[in-house]
Amino acid sequence: MATVDGTTIIGESILISGSLNGDEDLTVRGRVEGTLTLTRTLVVEPTGTVKAEVQVKNCVIAGVVVGNVTASESVEITKEGRMVGDISSPRVIIVDGASFRGRIDMGEVDVERAERGSRPALSRPATPRPALRPAAKAAEPRKAEEKAPAKPAVPPAPVAMGAVKRKVIVKRK
Amino acid sequence: MAAMEKVSTPRSGAHTVIGSSIVIDGEISGDEDLVIQGTVKGKIDLKESLYVESSGVIEADIETANVEVSGQVTGNIAASDKVELKADCKVVGDIRAPRILIADGATFKGNVDMDVKGGK
Amino acid sequence: MAATSGIIGRGTVVRGNLSGSGDVVVEGRLEGTVALEDRLTVESGGKVVADVQLENLIVHGEMGGDVVAAERVVISSTAKVVGDIKAPRVVIEDGARFSGSIEMDVKLPEGI
Repeated sequence: MATVDGTTIIGESILISGSLNGDEDLTVRGRVEGTLTLTRTLVVEPTGTVKAEVQVKNCVIAGVVVGNVTASESVEITKEGRMVGDISSPRVIIVDGASFRGRIDMGEVDVERAERGSRPALSRPATPRPALRPAAKAAEPRKAEEKAPAKPAVPPAPVAMGAVKRKVIVKRK
Repeated sequence: MAAMEKVSTPRSGAHTVIGSSIVIDGEISGDEDLVIQGTVKGKIDLKESLYVESSGVIEADIETANVEVSGQVTGNIAASDKVELKADCKVVGDIRAPRILIADGATFKGNVDMDVKGGK
Repeated sequence: MAATSGIIGRGTVVRGNLSGSGDVVVEGRLEGTVALEDRLTVESGGKVVADVQLENLIVHGEMGGDVVAAERVVISSTAKVVGDIKAPRVVIEDGARFSGSIEMDVKLPEGI
């Protein structure tokens, strides 16, 4: 028995309440509440419950985790895993069947995002629309462009599916 | 004596092992055997057996059925069955149990009370 | 599986409201809002900049926007997704890049 491979095991009937720190792998089959900090891997087995702020290198969640998890390497939520809290880790894997609610932060993800609560693109009264300017930069230059009535941005023209429009990239901030 | 740590085989059910690099500051409770190779500060409340191995350091009051100490304990120990202090252990605190074994080489400082009626 | 009713090809940009039934595949660029009854697949060169509402979403390419899916969202290993996702099932494969929130139905045991 014992730590053949340097793993600490918290058995099913054990409850630890407080702060737990360690330099080895930890498998939770029971319950840990408070804070959990490891330089290695945390495995929460299906019977395990962790209600804590977790800071580890790797985390595999097959049980229940309520709290925020920060992992320097990876977080995986398995099919039986359930988590409520925020994840901060460069690698996150959520398997089909897992349950999760919270935010995920993998660092910078460089993707163009739609504006929040996108405007309905259609059903606009017929306003004189400016000609599509090839170098249309967004909100700022409200200079005297006589072509355009002072509009903050170019509204997207309604388009039938599959139609090819001139490729005007309007970057709205 | 084997080179590896002496591990007493837990008797009942699952094994819980607190490894040597683990530090727990808080309370531990449970219904199964517990092996401590690391450090625990706070309180331990078990219904089964507690094994404090030679690398184990406990600064806590302990309440359990059975205790076997090979490491260090600073705190009071109350056991409903037995307390065993093995050689090279170091215990500072009061012990209350119906049966107490102190091996040759153990270091102990505290009171001993073997008059436990009814136990836990 | 519903028939594929639309493909936005690689050099194509579509901007506006996209709605309907049938599966849609995006290999080009789609901007605006999307309301589909079936599945949207964003291929690895595809880019969607839109809030979407659908049954199923599979992203191999890029997607920026909020997602409400009735069945499942899959963010594959080549995908880059930013947005808030609400769906009963969400899959994030190893290698995916994601930033945002995920809301699935989480049944927690009592006493948590």
